[in-house]
Amino acid sequence: MKKEFFAITFIVGVLLLAGCSTKPARLPFFGERTFNGKDTLYHTIAPFQFIDQDSVAITNATFKDKIYVADFFFTSCRTICPIMKTQMLRVYEATQNMPDVLILSHTIDPEYDTVALLHDYANRLDVKSSRWHFVTGAKDSIFKIAQTSYFATAMEDKTEPDGFIHSGAFLLIDKKGRLRGKYDGAREEDVNRLIGDIKILRQE
Amino acid sequence: MNWQLARPWRVVFGIGMATLVMCFFSCSSHDTKFQQYFSQGQSLYEKHCSNCHQKNGEGLKRLYPPLANSDFFKKNLPTSICIMKYGIAGEMKVNGVNFNKPMPGVPSLTELELAEIATYIANSWGAEEGRTTIEQVTEALKSCKTQ
Ligand code: HEC
Repeated sequence: MKKEFFAITFIVGVLLLAGCSTKPARLPFFGERTFNGKDTLYHTIAPFQFIDQDSVAITNATFKDKIYVADFFFTSCRTICPIMKTQMLRVYEATQNMPDVLILSHTIDPEYDTVALLHDYANRLDVKSSRWHFVTGAKDSIFKIAQTSYFATAMEDKTEPDGFIHSGAFLLIDKKGRLRGKYDGAREEDVNRLIGDIKILRQE
Repeated sequence: MNWQLARPWRVVFGIGMATLVMCFFSCSSHDTKFQQYFSQGQSLYEKHCSNCHQKNGEGLKRLYPPLANSDFFKKNLPTSICIMKYGIAGEMKVNGVNFNKPMPGVPSLTELELAEIATYIANSWGAEEGRTTIEQVTEALKSCKTQ
């Protein structure tokens, strides 16, 4: 009796330890999932069309078979956006040699952030438009996609110092348009985790 | 043996001690004031400025200019103080590089706070330009174009 008890405890212990030490091999899926009788279907980013700093139309097709990191910002913001851009620049540099990884920054102030302004902004950041798209479009579509597709907060609020409330989230999207990670773009450690997760996602 | 020093020596000793004490007080009062300005300046800098100009003062590419070793700051202290309070827009050159993004000012900064931030910048990242006084700030603010 006693022996068996020890044996079982031992096995359970080993299993628990093994479970702890193996890294999650797969990144999680965010959002609702449905089962169509054969496969599980995951939440995907809704169809969109925006215009980037080179006046090129950017749609879901731009990111076909690409991993991308998305965020929401505006150029005149003085609070967290400059920190987010400093951190996103780290992502840009860390993925320099990964042709299947892109970045998509949406302005939430399209009235002020025109194509010309975004062009100048990207230029001053010294980044290539083929790898990092800064997009503008109809304000409602941007707010809507932020909230319903990326689960990021973005809205106007005249009582805020900058006139908007928005989260500093960085969102990680896989090659099939599925949301696979959410990070605080103002925190260096979180962005380190994002850079690690991009590498995991590339193995899928 | 007499424990008392001879009279001339007593005078020398007295003057020596007095000088030492005065020196100690003037040096240390200079130091504590400087230290106060510097450390207050640092926390104000990290609250209001480092988002853009970065903690290390190096700025961000051609978007936000550097304050570390900035020739602009060194040559234009009064203008720089105006910029902190009232902001600035338009093209400017810093260390030979063109910048052109509006910087919002922080109008709520007091003269003391402006002096503290200026002291922090002028004595960080390798620079040692000494303390900026409130009088310098008062003078600088009179020259600001936008008030
Ligand atoms: C929202 C970003 C932002 C914040 C916050 C900010 N600045 Fe600036 N700063 C800029 C930009 C952009 C310029 C260049 C302005 C131009 O091109 O006309 C600039 C220019 C300057 C300059 C003159 C150029 C140089 O580099 O020497 C000084 C001095 C300066 N800032 C100091 C400060 C101080 C001190 C604070 C905090 C009280 C501060 N800034 C906060 C963005 C910012």
